[in-house]
Amino acid sequence: MFLSTAILVLQEILEAALLVSVLLVLSRQLTRTSEQNLRISLSWLPVAIGAGLVGSWMYAYFFPEISQWFDYVGLEITNAAIQGVILLALMIFCFMFTSVNCLHRTHRLGQLTPVLMAVMVSLGIVREVSEIILYLNGVLANPTNVTPTVLGASLAAGIGVSSGIVLYFLLLSLSVAWSYRLSMLLLALFAGNLASQIVILLTQADWIPYSRELWDSSAFIPEFTITGQLLYALVGYEANPSLIQVVCYCCSAMIIVVSPLFLHAWRKATGGSANV
Amino acid sequence: MMRVVASCLLLLLTGIWQVARGAVPEIQIEIREHLFYPSTVEVPANQKVKLFIVNNDATPEEFESYELNREKVIPGNGKTVIFIGPLEPGEYPFFGEFFPKTAQGKVVAK
Repeated sequence: MFLSTAILVLQEILEAALLVSVLLVLSRQLTRTSEQNLRISLSWLPVAIGAGLVGSWMYAYFFPEISQWFDYVGLEITNAAIQGVILLALMIFCFMFTSVNCLHRTHRLGQLTPVLMAVMVSLGIVREVSEIILYLNGVLANPTNVTPTVLGASLAAGIGVSSGIVLYFLLLSLSVAWSYRLSMLLLALFAGNLASQIVILLTQADWIPYSRELWDSSAFIPEFTITGQLLYALVGYEANPSLIQVVCYCCSAMIIVVSPLFLHAWRKATGGSANV
Repeated sequence: MMRVVASCLLLLLTGIWQVARGAVPEIQIEIREHLFYPSTVEVPANQKVKLFIVNNDATPEEFESYELNREKVIPGNGKTVIFIGPLEPGEYPFFGEFFPKTAQGKVVAK
């Protein structure tokens, strides 16, 4: 119980912590390296976390009702919709740093960025923390579970948040070039992860047709091992993904890779002149 | 209002789609005292199957299976639907994540 709670809470917190760290790093770097006086404040973070926690509590509260929507697949649809909005916000964020916008609309960029980041983080927290709340609700019904569950959850939350903080300082300690490259790479994988999760949810709800399994790597890294679970949390690792899942993962990641923000970061990284 | 319209549209489309494809076999699984009944579920192979899971406990349970790639929380005294398959013939274990030691089962595709 201690271990299963710890792993579950760690998975959820890591996903959120990864996103928060990368977005914070990008906020800082974009502001620091800006030639056009772009300023992205970090004040979106506490608002996003607060909104996320309130939202996740409400989501968990209305969960029995939501699960009956759409012929009992309401949870899948709602979760997929939340992931979809996060993915959309991410794409808008990556695509709005065109050279025209960077030159002429720096102020608007500076205003819109925190909003998009807040949307992504708060929705991410709604999804992750609501799962934790539902899980805790379920297992704490049994009184013998209380101590190991609370200990496991606290430990895992601590590890998750610390990992996020470590990642943040690690990324900032690198050269500007590498900090941009790694942040954007992580965002691309995150986008892939979102798309892949949307596909799984909609397949489970039978809104997307079945497609064959592309590979089965459970012999190498089974999903139920600690490595498998951590990889699942960080990059959306699946031991036997379906064809549609892999296609959507790759497309999503590629869209981020060809986005103006990625190219801008790359230009900055290789020392070429960039407009922001 | 939009939710009602969306659900109606979806039900209509699902209905039309299912009539067009032929009905999906439905199998009921019950959760009682943190156990699955039946714990061994036989399904036809190579065909989509609808699992109708009824949770008779007051506490929520999560139906999870790595092999089937399915994961869903079912509210206390609630019901839910999970689609699986088409599955190759074989055994696919599942478990209840909230009470993993007791709630275990497997889907056998024949």
